[in-house]
Amino acid sequence: MSISRVFVANRGEIALRVLRTAKAMGLETVIGVSAADRDGLPAQMADRAVVLGPAQATQSYLDVDLVLHAAKLTGCDALHPGYGFLSEKPELARRCDEEGITFIGPRPETIEAMGDKLSAIAVARAAKVSTVPGTDMIDSAARAAEAAEELGYPVVMKASAGGGGKGMFLARSADGLASAFARASREAEAAFGDGRLYMERFVEQARHVEVQIIGDGEGNVLHFGDRDCSVQRRYQKLIEEAPVTAMPPALQQRLRDSAARLCAHAKYRGAGTVEFLYDVAREDFYFIEVNSRIQVEHPVTEEITGHDLIRHQILAASGAGLQIAQDQITLSGHALEVRINAEDPDRGFAPAPGRLTAWSPPEHDGVRLDSHMRNGDLVPPFYDSMVGKLITRGKTRDDAIESMLRAIRDFRVEGVTTTLPFAARIIDHPDFRNNTITTRWLEDHVLTAAPEHA
Amino acid sequence: MTMKLSDIESLVQLFGESDWGEMHLRYGDDDLFLSKDPAATGPATAAMPPASATVAPAAPSQPATPPGPTGGAATPVAAAAATAEVDRSGWVAVTAPNLGTFYRAPSPKAPPYVEVGDTVSEDTEICLVEVMKLFTTIQAGLSGTVREIVATDGKMVEFGEALMWIEPGA
Repeated sequence: MSISRVFVANRGEIALRVLRTAKAMGLETVIGVSAADRDGLPAQMADRAVVLGPAQATQSYLDVDLVLHAAKLTGCDALHPGYGFLSEKPELARRCDEEGITFIGPRPETIEAMGDKLSAIAVARAAKVSTVPGTDMIDSAARAAEAAEELGYPVVMKASAGGGGKGMFLARSADGLASAFARASREAEAAFGDGRLYMERFVEQARHVEVQIIGDGEGNVLHFGDRDCSVQRRYQKLIEEAPVTAMPPALQQRLRDSAARLCAHAKYRGAGTVEFLYDVAREDFYFIEVNSRIQVEHPVTEEITGHDLIRHQILAASGAGLQIAQDQITLSGHALEVRINAEDPDRGFAPAPGRLTAWSPPEHDGVRLDSHMRNGDLVPPFYDSMVGKLITRGKTRDDAIESMLRAIRDFRVEGVTTTLPFAARIIDHPDFRNNTITTRWLEDHVLTAAPEHA
Repeated sequence: MTMKLSDIESLVQLFGESDWGEMHLRYGDDDLFLSKDPAATGPATAAMPPASATVAPAAPSQPATPPGPTGGAATPVAAAAATAEVDRSGWVAVTAPNLGTFYRAPSPKAPPYVEVGDTVSEDTEICLVEVMKLFTTIQAGLSGTVREIVATDGKMVEFGEALMWIEPGA
């Protein structure tokens, strides 16, 4: 199952990132682009670019038939889906298999199993990886009180039939529990015609931590350390770092082992990320989900391990196996990544597409820029607003922070409003420097403090 | 009075962000038609205007290295070579609505939908574009005479690539 010509089914920085590694591995490359991207850097970098359809993603990047047809007609024997778009659509992986094209990603069954929250949790439990502690159905306030004692306060009551926050009630102590149960049950009955409830431990101080893994599909799995992505706005990560430094070392080791165990259990093939909620107060972690693709924030892991994750991904897909052992993966230093979005933080992060009249990245040591933009390029309004990622590496977290502040200061961008200055404010914030932030921090403590950031 | 490239880019951007389906703008001598419908051939209200509304698609950016087992790169090259010899002024290109395989006939044994010199009307079927066994019939979109067939039967065409040239009203 050797690979000789790769079809890149994506755009932007990740398309360029995949092309770079594929070329370094001596592979031929073809990219399918939309009309809006026909003159972009990825189209120029690839050995060949074909225009799939118009700018709208539904008629180009998101059309499985078009992508497959283009891959076949250009003689590709492998397909890299990048992230987003079709990367986690089991249909694309399955149909690549049917057409004899190697899908550079997990097996379709794995993508399917991991894409469904309940089945992913079932896999985690089977692999003895802890999930958010919770109960089955609870039918009375008395039973709720017993369960809450076992879980530990605060707890959250959720409607079994629920969704969208309806029928969800928080209880901080036994005092409020009976009334919370009654209200939750009533609201669930009213909203869903089904008053049944279950209860989960509520994690008040949560950090988002995740582990990068690569599997060979036979049950052998390597981990490449962890990342902390707690700076989020509306569940979108803005800043990521590796490794996690806000966790006791023994717990951190357990985290990494848990991720590898879960993926070994699933006979995971290729690159994946196991995401966890880290309960800071209880010093415990719970499985959230597996992302069965390469992730936006993979560069911070590459920077501290020295491993090219796209290369490992391609090798794993081609059946070449893992090639290295766990003890050949050593972590050194600290890496920080800032997502550069063409958005205006002063206008509620509204997308700010337009033409770049200046784009001159800093040329410092230890600074990496993953971007497809050039001076004079248009940031099209059709796709997500990320125009690149700035990554810095240092001996320590503080070094990486200082390096990032310098890099942002020396990065000249004109013509398009970006989140770079905003990112500098975040990482220069005492809470970020002291590493005491949680996933709610940005929205609760920074974005609400309007005068300070107006 | 003319629109600058930057003006057009701004308009395209605004249009892209809007929920409008179409925009038709006359400004001085310029005539700009934008549509989110890939099958759109021109402003619905006006008769097919002269050449300005049909921008001949740019040749695909780069059929560089791998000639590819299918040789799809041959198509744009042939079209480009022909450009030098044929005077297409006043002709209108019928372009591919998406990437696919171009077929001149409804089945391998059937005769082609049209030949050069044939007269067509708006709804005359002129070719097929196939994507993973799904065949889409392409209609002429205007009345006139088929003057040139530039796409090659059984070969790949890209989105926006000219398939045929039709002389309107002729």
